[in-house]
Amino acid sequence: MAFAPIRTHVMRLIGQSGQYSTLLQRSMAYKSAISLETLYPNSSLKLTTPAFSPNPDEKFSGYIPIDKLDIKYSASSGPGGQNVNKVHTKVDLRFKVDEADWIPKEIRDKMLELHGKKLSKEGFLILRSDVTRSQQLNLADCLQKLRNIIREASVTKKEASPETAERIRQRHLKASRLRVAIKREDALRRAQRQPPTVVDL
Amino acid sequence: MGSRQITEKSLAMLRSLPRLSLGNIRDNPGSRKNIKRGRGQHGGDKHGAGNKGSGQRQNYMRLGYETGNNPFYLRMPHEHYYKGHHHRRQYPPISLLEIQKLIDTNRLDITKPIDIASIVRSGLYNFFPDQKHFGIHLTDEGMDIFSAKVNIEVQWASEQVIAAIEKNGGVITTAYYDPHSLILLKNPKSFFQTGQAIPRRMIPPPDVIEYYTSAEMRGYLADPEKISEERLRLSQKYGYQLPILESDKNYNMLCERKDPRQIFYGLEPGWVINLRDKCILKPKDEELLQFYAS
Repeated sequence: MAFAPIRTHVMRLIGQSGQYSTLLQRSMAYKSAISLETLYPNSSLKLTTPAFSPNPDEKFSGYIPIDKLDIKYSASSGPGGQNVNKVHTKVDLRFKVDEADWIPKEIRDKMLELHGKKLSKEGFLILRSDVTRSQQLNLADCLQKLRNIIREASVTKKEASPETAERIRQRHLKASRLRVAIKREDALRRAQRQPPTVVDL
Repeated sequence: MGSRQITEKSLAMLRSLPRLSLGNIRDNPGSRKNIKRGRGQHGGDKHGAGNKGSGQRQNYMRLGYETGNNPFYLRMPHEHYYKGHHHRRQYPPISLLEIQKLIDTNRLDITKPIDIASIVRSGLYNFFPDQKHFGIHLTDEGMDIFSAKVNIEVQWASEQVIAAIEKNGGVITTAYYDPHSLILLKNPKSFFQTGQAIPRRMIPPPDVIEYYTSAEMRGYLADPEKISEERLRLSQKYGYQLPILESDKNYNMLCERKDPRQIFYGLEPGWVINLRDKCILKPKDEELLQFYAS
Protein backbone atom coordinates (compact mmCIF):
# COMPACT_ATOMS: atom_id res chain seq x y z
CA MET A 1 0.00 0.00 0.00
CA ALA A 2 1.36 3.44 -0.92
CA PHE A 3 0.17 5.10 2.28
CA ALA A 4 1.84 2.64 4.61
CA PRO A 5 5.46 3.94 4.27
CA ILE A 6 4.26 7.58 4.65
CA ARG A 7 2.25 6.65 7.76
CA THR A 8 5.19 4.84 9.38
CA HIS A 9 7.43 7.80 8.53
CA VAL A 10 4.97 10.17 10.24
CA MET A 11 4.68 7.85 13.25
CA ARG A 12 8.46 7.71 13.53
CA LEU A 13 8.65 11.50 13.52
CA ILE A 14 6.02 11.70 16.23
CA GLY A 15 7.85 9.05 18.26
CA GLN A 16 11.17 10.92 17.98
CA SER A 17 9.80 14.21 19.30
CA GLY A 18 10.02 13.92 23.07
CA GLN A 19 6.80 15.80 23.77
CA TYR A 20 4.50 13.42 21.98
CA SER A 21 6.24 10.16 22.87
CA THR A 22 4.73 9.95 26.35
CA LEU A 23 1.28 10.80 24.97
CA LEU A 24 1.57 8.02 22.42
CA GLN A 25 2.90 5.59 25.03
CA ARG A 26 -0.03 6.39 27.31
CA SER A 27 -2.63 5.84 24.61
CA MET A 28 -0.95 2.67 23.32
CA ALA A 29 -0.11 1.26 26.75
CA TYR A 30 -1.96 -1.81 27.92
CA LYS A 31 -4.94 -1.06 30.18
CA SER A 32 -6.70 -3.97 31.84
CA ALA A 33 -10.05 -3.95 33.64
CA ILE A 34 -8.26 -3.53 36.99
CA SER A 35 -5.86 -0.80 35.92
CA LEU A 36 -5.38 2.19 38.20
CA GLU A 37 -7.52 4.31 35.89
CA THR A 38 -10.58 2.13 36.51
CA LEU A 39 -9.82 1.72 40.22
CA TYR A 40 -9.32 5.45 40.86
CA PRO A 41 -11.18 7.37 38.14
CA ASN A 42 -10.95 10.70 39.98
CA SER A 43 -7.25 10.52 40.66
CA SER A 44 -4.50 12.09 38.56
CA LEU A 45 -2.43 8.87 38.96
CA LYS A 46 0.75 10.90 39.22
CA LEU A 47 3.48 10.73 41.84
CA THR A 48 3.96 14.30 43.06
CA THR A 49 5.64 16.15 45.89
CA PRO A 50 2.68 17.73 47.69
CA ALA A 51 3.01 20.72 49.95
CA PHE A 52 2.46 20.16 53.65
CA SER A 53 -1.10 20.94 54.78
CA PRO A 54 -0.97 22.16 58.40
CA ASN A 55 -3.53 21.10 60.99
CA PRO A 56 -5.79 24.17 61.50
CA ASP A 57 -6.86 23.16 65.04
CA GLU A 58 -3.32 23.01 66.41
CA LYS A 59 -0.99 25.91 67.12
CA PHE A 60 2.00 24.01 65.80
CA SER A 61 1.59 23.08 62.14
CA GLY A 62 3.33 19.74 62.56
CA TYR A 63 6.01 20.34 59.94
CA ILE A 64 9.66 20.18 61.02
CA PRO A 65 12.04 21.73 58.46
CA ILE A 66 14.99 19.33 58.42
CA ASP A 67 17.37 21.88 56.84
CA LYS A 68 16.97 24.20 59.84
CA LEU A 69 18.19 21.49 62.22
CA ASP A 70 21.88 20.83 62.75
CA ILE A 71 22.36 17.08 62.49
CA LYS A 72 25.66 15.34 63.16
CA TYR A 73 26.55 11.67 63.10
CA SER A 74 29.11 10.00 65.29
CA ALA A 75 30.12 6.56 66.48
CA SER A 76 27.92 4.97 69.13
CA SER A 77 29.08 3.63 72.44
CA GLY A 78 28.87 0.10 73.74
CA PRO A 79 30.09 -3.27 72.54
CA GLY A 80 30.31 -4.16 68.89
CA GLY A 81 33.95 -4.33 67.88
CA GLN A 82 34.99 -2.92 64.54
CA ASN A 83 31.42 -2.29 63.44
CA VAL A 84 30.47 -0.01 66.33
CA ASN A 85 33.77 1.87 65.95
CA LYS A 86 33.43 2.50 62.24
CA VAL A 87 29.73 2.95 61.62
CA HIS A 88 28.39 6.37 62.71
CA THR A 89 24.98 5.47 64.00
CA LYS A 90 24.70 7.99 66.82
CA VAL A 91 22.68 11.03 65.87
CA ASP A 92 23.18 14.46 67.44
CA LEU A 93 20.37 16.87 66.59
CA ARG A 94 20.54 20.48 67.78
CA PHE A 95 18.87 23.80 67.06
CA LYS A 96 18.57 27.20 68.73
CA VAL A 97 15.18 27.45 70.37
CA ASP A 98 15.09 31.28 70.10
CA GLU A 99 15.75 31.22 66.36
CA ALA A 100 13.29 28.41 65.61
CA ASP A 101 10.59 30.43 63.81
CA TRP A 102 8.85 27.25 62.68
CA ILE A 103 7.65 26.81 66.26
CA PRO A 104 4.97 29.33 67.41
CA LYS A 105 6.11 31.87 70.05
CA GLU A 106 3.91 30.52 72.89
CA ILE A 107 5.16 27.00 72.43
CA ARG A 108 8.76 28.22 72.28
CA ASP A 109 8.30 30.10 75.57
CA LYS A 110 6.77 27.05 77.20
CA MET A 111 9.67 24.92 75.91
CA LEU A 112 12.17 27.33 77.47
CA GLU A 113 10.20 27.16 80.71
CA LEU A 114 10.22 23.34 80.76
CA HIS A 115 13.67 22.65 79.31
CA GLY A 116 15.44 25.98 79.83
CA LYS A 117 17.96 24.47 82.23
CA LYS A 118 18.85 21.76 79.68
CA LEU A 119 19.87 24.15 76.90
CA SER A 120 23.55 24.60 76.12
CA LYS A 121 25.43 27.85 76.78
CA GLU A 122 24.67 29.18 73.29
CA GLY A 123 21.00 28.29 73.70
CA PHE A 124 20.93 25.07 71.66
CA LEU A 125 18.50 22.30 72.50
CA ILE A 126 20.46 19.05 72.00
CA LEU A 127 18.81 15.71 71.31
CA ARG A 128 20.88 12.56 70.98
CA SER A 129 19.97 9.01 70.08
CA ASP A 130 21.91 5.78 69.70
CA VAL A 131 19.21 3.23 70.57
CA THR A 132 19.35 1.22 67.35
CA ARG A 133 22.07 -0.01 65.04
CA SER A 134 20.85 2.14 62.21
CA GLN A 135 21.52 5.83 61.63
CA GLN A 136 18.17 6.25 59.87
CA LEU A 137 16.20 4.80 62.76
CA ASN A 138 18.17 6.81 65.31
CA LEU A 139 17.39 9.99 63.40
CA ALA A 140 13.72 9.04 63.42
CA ASP A 141 13.99 8.50 67.19
CA CYS A 142 15.54 11.98 67.65
CA LEU A 143 12.76 13.58 65.63
CA GLN A 144 10.16 11.71 67.66
CA LYS A 145 11.76 13.02 70.86
CA LEU A 146 11.61 16.54 69.40
CA ARG A 147 7.95 16.09 68.52
CA ASN A 148 7.24 14.88 72.05
CA ILE A 149 8.92 17.97 73.52
CA ILE A 150 6.89 20.27 71.28
CA ARG A 151 3.74 18.37 72.16
CA GLU A 152 4.45 18.63 75.89
CA ALA A 153 4.94 22.35 75.53
CA SER A 154 1.81 22.89 73.47
CA VAL A 155 -0.76 20.96 75.51
CA THR A 156 -2.65 23.21 77.93
CA LYS A 157 -4.30 21.51 80.82
CA LYS A 158 -8.00 22.25 80.87
CA GLU A 159 -9.13 23.81 84.14
CA ALA A 160 -11.90 21.95 85.92
CA SER A 161 -15.27 23.71 86.12
CA PRO A 162 -16.52 24.73 89.61
CA GLU A 163 -19.06 21.84 89.60
CA THR A 164 -16.32 19.30 88.84
CA ALA A 165 -14.01 20.87 91.46
CA GLU A 166 -16.79 20.63 94.04
CA ARG A 167 -17.46 16.99 93.08
CA ILE A 168 -13.72 16.17 93.45
CA ARG A 169 -13.67 17.87 96.92
CA GLN A 170 -16.71 15.89 98.06
CA ARG A 171 -15.06 12.66 96.85
CA HIS A 172 -11.92 13.42 98.89
CA LEU A 173 -14.06 14.11 101.99
CA LYS A 174 -16.04 10.90 101.54
CA ALA A 175 -12.84 8.89 101.15
CA SER A 176 -11.47 10.45 104.36
CA ARG A 177 -14.70 9.69 106.23
CA LEU A 178 -14.64 6.04 105.17
CA ARG A 179 -10.95 5.71 106.04
CA VAL A 180 -11.49 7.12 109.52
CA ALA A 181 -14.57 4.93 110.09
CA ILE A 182 -12.60 1.77 109.22
CA LYS A 183 -9.79 2.88 111.55
CA ARG A 184 -12.29 3.37 114.37
CA GLU A 185 -13.81 -0.08 113.82
CA ASP A 186 -10.38 -1.74 113.83
CA ALA A 187 -9.44 0.08 117.03
CA LEU A 188 -12.68 -1.09 118.70
CA ARG A 189 -12.03 -4.69 117.61
CA ARG A 190 -8.50 -4.61 119.01
CA ALA A 191 -9.71 -3.04 122.29
CA GLN A 192 -12.36 -5.80 122.71
CA ARG A 193 -9.64 -8.47 122.49
CA GLN A 194 -8.01 -7.11 125.66
CA PRO A 195 -9.03 -8.68 128.99
CA PRO A 196 -11.55 -6.57 130.96
CA THR A 197 -10.21 -4.11 133.55
CA VAL A 198 -11.43 -3.79 137.15
CA VAL A 199 -13.48 -0.71 136.10
CA ASP A 200 -15.57 -2.76 133.53
CA LEU A 201 -16.31 -5.53 136.02
CA MET B 1 -12.98 -54.55 16.15
CA GLY B 2 -15.17 -51.67 15.06
CA SER B 3 -18.15 -50.59 17.21
CA ARG B 4 -20.64 -51.89 14.62
CA GLN B 5 -19.09 -55.35 14.79
CA ILE B 6 -19.14 -55.23 18.60
CA THR B 7 -22.88 -54.49 18.69
CA GLU B 8 -23.60 -57.17 16.10
CA LYS B 9 -21.59 -59.75 18.05
CA SER B 10 -23.37 -58.85 21.33
CA LEU B 11 -26.77 -59.10 19.68
CA ALA B 12 -25.83 -62.49 18.19
CA MET B 13 -24.72 -63.68 21.65
CA LEU B 14 -28.02 -62.56 23.18
CA ARG B 15 -29.95 -64.49 20.54
CA SER B 16 -28.04 -67.69 21.20
CA LEU B 17 -27.70 -67.60 25.01
CA PRO B 18 -30.29 -69.42 27.17
CA ARG B 19 -33.08 -67.64 29.05
CA LEU B 20 -32.46 -66.05 32.45
CA SER B 21 -33.86 -68.26 35.24
CA LEU B 22 -33.22 -68.97 38.91
CA GLY B 23 -30.89 -71.73 37.82
CA ASN B 24 -28.40 -69.54 35.95
CA ILE B 25 -28.01 -66.49 38.22
CA ARG B 26 -25.82 -65.95 41.25
CA ASP B 27 -25.46 -63.36 44.03
CA ASN B 28 -23.16 -60.33 43.69
CA PRO B 29 -19.77 -61.16 45.17
CA GLY B 30 -19.66 -60.09 48.82
CA SER B 31 -23.39 -59.67 49.27
CA ARG B 32 -23.68 -62.87 51.28
CA LYS B 33 -21.28 -63.62 54.06
CA ASN B 34 -20.83 -67.10 55.44
CA ILE B 35 -22.02 -67.10 59.04
CA LYS B 36 -19.11 -68.04 61.26
CA ARG B 37 -20.17 -70.52 63.89
CA GLY B 38 -17.73 -71.29 66.72
CA ARG B 39 -18.74 -75.00 66.44
CA GLY B 40 -18.10 -77.69 63.91
CA GLN B 41 -15.15 -78.55 61.65
CA HIS B 42 -14.49 -75.00 60.28
CA GLY B 43 -15.42 -72.69 63.14
CA GLY B 44 -14.44 -74.89 66.11
CA ASP B 45 -11.15 -76.19 67.62
CA LYS B 46 -8.87 -73.06 67.73
CA HIS B 47 -11.73 -70.62 66.81
CA GLY B 48 -9.63 -68.69 64.27
CA ALA B 49 -6.94 -67.75 66.82
CA GLY B 50 -4.12 -69.91 65.41
CA ASN B 51 -1.41 -71.66 67.48
CA LYS B 52 0.30 -70.34 70.65
CA GLY B 53 1.77 -66.82 70.61
CA SER B 54 0.10 -63.50 71.37
CA GLY B 55 -2.52 -64.27 68.70
CA GLN B 56 -4.01 -67.24 70.53
CA ARG B 57 -3.38 -65.79 74.00
CA GLN B 58 -4.99 -62.38 73.10
CA ASN B 59 -1.95 -60.58 74.45
CA TYR B 60 -1.45 -58.32 71.48
CA MET B 61 1.27 -55.69 71.03
CA ARG B 62 0.03 -52.10 70.66
CA LEU B 63 -0.57 -50.75 67.14
CA GLY B 64 2.67 -49.52 65.58
CA TYR B 65 4.95 -51.44 67.95
CA GLU B 66 7.86 -53.05 66.10
CA THR B 67 9.12 -55.47 68.76
CA GLY B 68 11.50 -52.98 70.35
CA ASN B 69 13.17 -51.06 67.52
CA ASN B 70 12.27 -47.42 66.98
CA PRO B 71 8.84 -47.65 65.33
CA PHE B 72 8.04 -45.87 62.09
CA TYR B 73 5.57 -43.47 63.69
CA LEU B 74 8.24 -42.29 66.17
CA ARG B 75 11.18 -42.12 63.77
CA MET B 76 10.18 -38.74 62.32
CA PRO B 77 9.89 -36.09 65.06
CA HIS B 78 7.05 -33.60 64.81
CA GLU B 79 7.57 -29.98 65.86
CA HIS B 80 4.48 -27.88 66.27
CA TYR B 81 6.20 -24.61 65.53
CA TYR B 82 6.16 -25.31 61.81
CA LYS B 83 2.49 -26.21 61.68
CA GLY B 84 0.94 -25.04 58.44
CA HIS B 85 4.26 -23.96 56.90
CA HIS B 86 3.24 -25.43 53.57
CA HIS B 87 0.17 -23.15 53.53
CA ARG B 88 2.18 -19.98 54.08
CA ARG B 89 3.83 -17.74 51.52
CA GLN B 90 7.59 -17.15 51.68
CA TYR B 91 9.52 -14.16 50.39
CA PRO B 92 13.24 -14.96 50.11
CA PRO B 93 15.12 -11.87 51.25
CA ILE B 94 17.65 -9.67 49.53
CA SER B 95 19.11 -6.68 51.34
CA LEU B 96 19.54 -3.09 50.20
CA LEU B 97 23.27 -3.68 50.61
CA GLU B 98 23.12 -6.45 48.00
CA ILE B 99 21.18 -4.24 45.63
CA GLN B 100 23.75 -1.46 46.07
CA LYS B 101 26.53 -3.95 45.36
CA LEU B 102 24.75 -5.16 42.21
CA ILE B 103 24.38 -1.55 41.02
CA ASP B 104 27.99 -0.65 41.82
CA THR B 105 29.32 -3.70 39.99
CA ASN B 106 27.12 -2.94 36.95
CA ARG B 107 25.07 -6.08 37.32
CA LEU B 108 21.85 -4.06 37.59
CA ASP B 109 20.86 -1.29 35.20
CA ILE B 110 19.32 1.66 37.06
CA THR B 111 18.43 3.55 33.88
CA LYS B 112 15.52 1.10 33.51
CA PRO B 113 12.91 -0.01 36.05
CA ILE B 114 14.08 -2.90 38.22
CA ASP B 115 11.82 -5.84 38.94
CA ILE B 116 12.32 -9.41 40.13
CA ALA B 117 13.23 -10.57 36.64
CA SER B 118 16.19 -8.14 36.41
CA ILE B 119 17.41 -9.06 39.89
CA VAL B 120 17.32 -12.78 39.05
CA ARG B 121 19.04 -12.05 35.75
CA SER B 122 21.91 -10.35 37.61
CA GLY B 123 22.83 -13.85 38.72
CA LEU B 124 23.22 -13.24 42.44
CA TYR B 125 19.68 -13.94 43.58
CA ASN B 126 17.49 -16.94 43.03
CA PHE B 127 14.08 -18.07 44.17
CA PHE B 128 11.93 -21.14 43.56
CA PRO B 129 8.23 -20.49 42.89
CA ASP B 130 7.37 -24.18 43.31
CA GLN B 131 8.63 -24.01 46.90
CA LYS B 132 6.02 -21.43 47.94
CA HIS B 133 8.35 -18.51 47.19
CA PHE B 134 6.23 -15.52 46.24
CA GLY B 135 8.91 -12.98 45.45
CA ILE B 136 11.44 -10.59 46.94
CA HIS B 137 11.50 -9.30 50.51
CA LEU B 138 13.72 -6.24 50.52
CA THR B 139 15.44 -6.10 53.91
CA ASP B 140 16.90 -3.08 55.67
CA GLU B 141 20.52 -4.19 55.94
CA GLY B 142 22.48 -1.42 54.24
CA MET B 143 19.71 1.16 54.40
CA ASP B 144 22.12 3.74 55.88
CA ILE B 145 24.57 3.50 52.97
CA PHE B 146 22.09 3.00 50.14
CA SER B 147 22.61 5.81 47.62
CA ALA B 148 21.13 4.81 44.29
CA LYS B 149 18.16 6.42 42.56
CA VAL B 150 16.10 3.49 41.33
CA ASN B 151 12.62 2.53 40.28
CA ILE B 152 12.32 -0.84 42.01
CA GLU B 153 9.44 -3.27 42.27
CA VAL B 154 9.49 -5.90 45.03
CA GLN B 155 6.92 -8.07 46.73
CA TRP B 156 7.49 -7.10 50.38
CA ALA B 157 9.21 -4.13 51.98
CA SER B 158 9.13 -2.48 55.38
CA GLU B 159 8.75 1.22 56.11
CA GLN B 160 12.44 1.99 56.67
CA VAL B 161 13.38 0.34 53.38
CA ILE B 162 10.80 2.48 51.57
CA ALA B 163 12.22 5.56 53.32
CA ALA B 164 15.80 4.63 52.33
CA ILE B 165 14.84 4.36 48.65
CA GLU B 166 12.70 7.50 48.56
CA LYS B 167 15.38 9.50 50.36
CA ASN B 168 17.62 9.06 47.32
CA GLY B 169 14.91 10.18 44.93
CA GLY B 170 13.83 6.69 43.90
CA VAL B 171 10.47 5.00 43.67
CA ILE B 172 9.53 1.68 45.24
CA THR B 173 6.39 -0.33 44.53
CA THR B 174 5.20 -3.56 46.12
CA ALA B 175 3.45 -5.83 43.62
CA TYR B 176 1.94 -9.28 43.79
CA TYR B 177 2.70 -12.04 41.30
CA ASP B 178 0.95 -15.39 41.35
CA PRO B 179 3.18 -18.49 41.19
CA HIS B 180 2.65 -19.07 37.46
CA SER B 181 3.62 -15.48 36.65
CA LEU B 182 6.73 -15.88 38.81
CA ILE B 183 7.79 -18.98 36.91
CA LEU B 184 7.49 -16.92 33.72
CA LEU B 185 9.42 -13.99 35.17
CA LYS B 186 12.21 -16.16 36.51
CA ASN B 187 13.10 -17.39 33.04
CA PRO B 188 11.27 -15.41 30.36
CA LYS B 189 13.35 -16.84 27.51
CA SER B 190 12.36 -20.44 28.18
CA PHE B 191 8.72 -19.38 28.40
CA PHE B 192 8.87 -17.50 25.09
CA GLN B 193 10.43 -20.56 23.49
CA THR B 194 7.36 -22.62 24.38
CA GLY B 195 5.33 -20.43 22.04
CA GLN B 196 2.49 -19.85 24.51
CA ALA B 197 0.60 -16.59 24.83
CA ILE B 198 1.57 -14.43 27.79
CA PRO B 199 -1.09 -14.95 30.46
CA ARG B 200 -2.66 -12.32 32.71
CA ARG B 201 -1.31 -11.80 36.20
CA MET B 202 -3.76 -12.81 38.91
CA ILE B 203 -4.98 -10.51 41.71
CA PRO B 204 -3.62 -11.00 45.24
CA PRO B 205 -5.35 -13.45 47.63
CA PRO B 206 -7.79 -11.99 50.21
CA ASP B 207 -5.39 -12.07 53.17
CA VAL B 208 -2.83 -9.86 51.45
CA ILE B 209 -4.94 -7.68 49.15
CA GLU B 210 -5.08 -5.04 51.88
CA TYR B 211 -1.29 -4.83 51.89
CA TYR B 212 -1.14 -4.28 48.15
CA THR B 213 -3.90 -1.65 48.14
CA SER B 214 -2.35 0.36 50.98
CA ALA B 215 -0.45 3.54 50.17
CA GLU B 216 1.78 3.14 53.25
CA MET B 217 3.30 0.01 51.75
CA ARG B 218 3.40 1.54 48.25
CA GLY B 219 1.07 -1.17 46.95
CA TYR B 220 0.67 -1.45 43.18
CA LEU B 221 -3.11 -1.20 43.57
CA ALA B 222 -2.96 1.94 45.72
CA ASP B 223 -3.85 5.45 44.58
CA PRO B 224 -0.68 7.31 43.49
CA GLU B 225 -2.03 10.55 44.98
CA LYS B 226 -2.25 8.91 48.41
CA ILE B 227 1.22 7.49 47.86
CA SER B 228 2.50 11.04 47.27
CA GLU B 229 1.03 12.10 50.63
CA GLU B 230 2.60 9.09 52.32
CA ARG B 231 5.98 10.03 50.80
CA LEU B 232 5.77 13.38 52.57
CA ARG B 233 4.76 11.78 55.86
CA LEU B 234 7.67 9.35 55.67
CA SER B 235 10.14 12.13 54.87
CA GLN B 236 9.01 13.93 58.02
CA LYS B 237 9.20 10.76 60.09
CA TYR B 238 12.69 9.77 58.98
CA GLY B 239 14.09 13.29 58.73
CA TYR B 240 15.09 13.94 55.12
CA GLN B 241 14.19 16.51 52.51
CA LEU B 242 11.66 14.98 50.13
CA PRO B 243 13.26 14.98 46.66
CA ILE B 244 11.08 16.64 44.04
CA LEU B 245 10.33 13.85 41.59
CA GLU B 246 8.59 16.02 39.00
CA SER B 247 11.72 18.06 38.29
CA ASP B 248 13.80 14.93 37.78
CA LYS B 249 14.85 14.33 34.19
CA ASN B 250 14.12 10.61 34.61
CA TYR B 251 10.62 11.24 35.95
CA ASN B 252 8.95 9.10 33.28
CA MET B 253 11.26 6.16 33.88
CA LEU B 254 10.83 6.44 37.67
CA CYS B 255 7.05 6.52 37.41
CA GLU B 256 6.87 3.68 34.91
CA ARG B 257 4.70 0.94 36.30
CA LYS B 258 3.24 -2.29 35.05
CA ASP B 259 -0.50 -2.67 34.73
CA PRO B 260 -1.92 -4.95 37.48
CA ARG B 261 -2.51 -7.64 34.85
CA GLN B 262 0.87 -7.27 33.16
CA ILE B 263 3.78 -9.59 33.83
CA PHE B 264 6.56 -8.14 31.66
CA TYR B 265 7.39 -4.51 31.01
CA GLY B 266 6.19 -3.52 27.57
CA LEU B 267 4.53 -6.87 26.78
CA GLU B 268 0.79 -7.38 27.02
CA PRO B 269 -1.10 -10.52 27.98
CA GLY B 270 -2.17 -12.43 24.89
CA TRP B 271 0.96 -11.76 22.88
CA VAL B 272 3.09 -14.60 21.56
CA ILE B 273 6.78 -13.73 21.36
CA ASN B 274 8.64 -15.38 18.51
CA LEU B 275 12.32 -15.27 19.38
CA ARG B 276 13.49 -17.14 16.28
CA ASP B 277 11.88 -14.80 13.75
CA LYS B 278 12.16 -11.82 16.15
CA CYS B 279 8.50 -10.83 15.95
CA ILE B 280 5.46 -10.55 18.20
CA LEU B 281 2.12 -12.18 17.32
CA LYS B 282 -0.84 -10.31 18.70
CA PRO B 283 -4.41 -11.63 18.88
CA LYS B 284 -6.99 -10.02 16.61
CA ASP B 285 -10.14 -11.87 17.67
CA GLU B 286 -12.55 -9.68 19.68
CA GLU B 287 -13.23 -12.36 22.27
CA LEU B 288 -9.54 -12.93 22.91
CA LEU B 289 -8.82 -9.20 23.11
CA GLN B 290 -11.66 -8.80 25.61
CA PHE B 291 -10.41 -11.70 27.69
CA TYR B 292 -6.82 -10.50 27.86
CA ALA B 293 -7.92 -6.98 28.73
CA SER B 294 -10.26 -8.13 31.50
